[in-house]
Parts: sequence; C-alpha cells; structure tokens
Amino acid sequence: MIQMTTKIIGKVMAIALCVSVLSCKGDHEHKYHTIKDKIEAETVSYSGDLSSDVYNETTKTVPVMEEDGTFLIPDRKSQMTSFNCTECHSEPLKSLKEQQVGKKAHWDIKLVHADVKTMNCATCHTGNDMDNLHSLTDQQIDFNYSYKLCSQCHQREFKDWKGGAHGKQLGGWAPPRVSNTCVNCHNPHTPAFEKRWPVRYNTEKVKERK
Amino acid sequence: MGDTKKKWFSLNLNRSKSDASCSCGKNETEGNCESKDGYSQVLDVDMSRRSAFKKMTAGLLIGAGAVSSSCSVTKSDDGKEMSQIEWDEYFKGNYKLMTDEDKTNTVDRLTRSYELRTGKSLSMSDKDAEEDVLFGYAFNISKCQGYMDCVNACVEENNQDRDSQMQYIRIHEMKDGKGFNFEEADDNYYHEVPAAGHFYMGTQCFHCDNPPCVEVCPVQATWKEKDGIVVIDYDWCVGCRYCMAACPYDGRRFNWKTPQVPEEEVNKNQHYLGNRLRKKGVMEKCTFCIQRTREGQNPACVEACPTGARTFGNLLDPQSNIRWILDNKKVFRLKEDLGTEPKFWYYMD
Repeated sequence: MIQMTTKIIGKVMAIALCVSVLSCKGDHEHKYHTIKDKIEAETVSYSGDLSSDVYNETTKTVPVMEEDGTFLIPDRKSQMTSFNCTECHSEPLKSLKEQQVGKKAHWDIKLVHADVKTMNCATCHTGNDMDNLHSLTDQQIDFNYSYKLCSQCHQREFKDWKGGAHGKQLGGWAPPRVSNTCVNCHNPHTPAFEKRWPVRYNTEKVKERK
Repeated sequence: MGDTKKKWFSLNLNRSKSDASCSCGKNETEGNCESKDGYSQVLDVDMSRRSAFKKMTAGLLIGAGAVSSSCSVTKSDDGKEMSQIEWDEYFKGNYKLMTDEDKTNTVDRLTRSYELRTGKSLSMSDKDAEEDVLFGYAFNISKCQGYMDCVNACVEENNQDRDSQMQYIRIHEMKDGKGFNFEEADDNYYHEVPAAGHFYMGTQCFHCDNPPCVEVCPVQATWKEKDGIVVIDYDWCVGCRYCMAACPYDGRRFNWKTPQVPEEEVNKNQHYLGNRLRKKGVMEKCTFCIQRTREGQNPACVEACPTGARTFGNLLDPQSNIRWILDNKKVFRLKEDLGTEPKFWYYMD
C-alpha cells in the first residue's frame, strides 16, 4: 500500500517536472540570457533609410576625423559675430592697447578658466594672427577645430566626447552623427555651468503618496 | 475571412467550437491561424451567460446611440459620421493583432474624429519598428544638474495632462555619500540647482527587455515591440493598473481623469502607440517618443537636456554613441538583480 502511494507520488512528480520543462515558454523570446548577450549576438551596422540629415539641415557642419571614427560638428566661424577678427585686429595687440580710443572691446569677457599661473588670453589666442588659435607648442589651430585646444588639458573629456559619452548628439540617433563641439555648450572663457532655477516645479505626486 | 464577415450580426455565444485554439499573439509561426478582427475578438470569446449579458448591455448602449443617430433625420451628417466612427472604434481589435489595413483604418478614424470634434487636423502614424534597431538609453549622473528642461519637453511633446502633473520623468535629488537612496531622495525640490552636496538622477520607463508589466497585463494591452519599446494600446487597456503595481521602477502612470491639453498646445505629430491623446482610466508612460524615434530623431528629453546627460541610440549599431558608452564606461542599471533587463543605463564621468 505504501509502495503504491510512493509510486503514485513519484509519477505525479515526474509529470509535474515534464510539464514544467515543456511549459518553459517563449523559447525564441527568451533566446538570450541577458540583454548584453542579445546586443552582442545581433550587432549589425545600421543600414536603414532613416537619417539625421533632415533634423540638422540648418546646421552648417565640419567633419572631425579622429582615430575612433569620424563625425560632424557645427561650423564655428560662421556663428561668431565679429569673425574675421582681423577686421579690427589689423595691428599687433600692443599698439592697439596704446591707442586707447573709444569704448573698450571685449569688455564683457571675464576669464574664469584655470588660474593666471596656468592660463591667460595668449595661451589660446595668437597675438600676431588673431584669426587663428594656437596650441601649447605654437601649432596653428583653426577656430572650427578649437576642441584640439581644449583636449590639450582635458584629455579624459576629449576621449569621452569622441566616443559619445560627453557632449550632445544633435538631431537624431540615426547616422550621420552630428555632435556639439566643446564651445557649443561651454563658454571657453567661463566654461563652468551656472547655478540656476529649475524650469518647473517637480511633481508633487510622490509627496502626496507619502 | 468568410466566417468573420458576420461581424456583430450573429453573436453565436458559447456555441462556436471552431479552431480557436490558437492563442493569438504567438501565431506568427502557425500560418493557418487567421488573425481575428476586433468584432470576433470581442464576441468570439467563451463566456458565461452572465458576462455575456454584461457585454451585450455595454455594446447595446453604444449601438443604440449609433442606431438612433444614424436613423435620425434631425442629426447632421457629421453627427452620423461620428457615431459610425465611435461604433467602429468600439469594436476594433487589439492593435497587436491588426492587419496593416486595420491599422490604417483606425488611424484614419482617430484623425477624422479629432477633425470632427475640433475642426483641426493632425497627423498620426502607425509606423512599425525598423529592422536591425534596438533602442537604448544612457544617463550620465555626473552631468545632470536638475534643471528639469527634460520634463517640460516631455510634457509638451507627449500631450500629457496639464493639471494633474502627469510626468513620465522624475528627477531625484540625492545627497552625496548616501548612494541611491530613493527613500531619502528629494523629488520635490525647488531651489537653485545644482545644490551643494547633492547629485541628480532621472528615472522614467526603462523599457525592460524582460518587462514584468507586460507579463501581468490581463488583456495584453501592453507589449514589447521589435525595436525594444514597451508600448500600450490605449484603446485596449482596461485600466486595472496591474502593470503599475508590477513595475519595480515607478515607470507607469494612470489617467485618473480625462487628460486636458489646450488645443493650441496639442502636439499634432502623433503615433498610435505614442503621444496620441489618451482618455480617462488608461495607463500611459514614456514610449521613448516613439513618434520621433521611429523617424530617426532623438526623444524630446534628449534634445532638451542642456548638459548632455542623456544619450539615446541604437544598441545594435557598433558605431552608435550608446554602444561606445556601454563598451567603455562603467555602466550599471537599477535593480539589476530582478532580471528585468532594463535598456536604460547609468554611468559617471
């Protein structure tokens, strides 16, 4: 009698096991153990019709070619109000300073970037060629490619920016990639973001629930 | 479709023993199972006498309205058209099971209905998922400053109710040194930001790859699309809020009242599964701005963020920014141990 019962229990358990194994649902849905596995297995370069071009139509861009790949950044020179600088800076800074006529130009520019021991105007601007910038080793740098100046110190930010972890992609996720360059978000003279009020109250819902 | 042509004329309750064994939604592989249209989805279900009467009463109420107005000589043509639309909308099926034609029809009906009600036109899309695309999101905790521009953009883009504070995104102000302590986080801050000694992080629907909200839905009104977006059919949702309870991330929102959006503020670029106007008693949540992202654009929150803390992209594309972040930054997700596999990663500089 006891044997019978154990047999029956055994049978029931076997059936239950079979059922639970068989009902393991959605085999194709749960093909991958984690999302990471899925991403790795299904990786494929996007070749669809979608493009970000339509969303960036109004932005004039220049290409960036770095070893991690190429992408576009907004053209800077066309956005600068008084470029070319040589329209005013026709003579060396020293002689301009000596003249002292009329209102001071650039009176509103405050340099809050590193300290005076590290940087001053001439660290980036070239006294005798105001239309261009220069690197620490006196190599000419175009205003459009000012990120090359920033990256001399901010190496880690530069690396993240090239990859896409720092900065902002414009328009859409679809290729081609257009990203803001450093000076589109950071004023190079006062690069830190300022404190300000949030644009709206945060929701009170969570408070109410408590 | 010979048998389903009967539509609502023959109820055939509880008597049809036809081969309805195929549980729809998983019928892609079984070719011979023809997809049910809305009428049969509503009417071809086995039900008890009692629930049958209940459903018939509900249906009759709409039917009576439609019949009375379509036969009425006093009602205008517009009124009759509206009743016809309401009738067809009531009996339409689950979006998941609709044919492309059904989808176009319902989108046309909804567009026309809005036109009849307000005199304004809108564009509504039913665009399907792109091939080789799986959407994912990354959030840089070091960069978020709590400015809340994302929330404003989201509310405007997605036609959220203006006076019940319906917001898909929450920004939490956390104390430095306390880790992710949501109990002690301030979700209602209003002072200059960033506040000293604090950091900010945003949460919203994480579009889990293994979404518990989808599992619990008793009517299959919510599901995961091929490109990874978890969507809701607002017209199939019964408002039971099981999904809200099942979500471990507070990602879902419920419409306790009829959402109100001033006509001039309505975003007219809509998607059936996205920002079209909702009604009272249904769930809604972030859809990764499906109306934008299925067209290649970034979600509104990503576009609005002034700090670049938000990155959106195609996880399958090795050239995408989001892939670089996953491969090169130290990323993590919330409550990873639950196995929900959110497609929303956090990282720091």
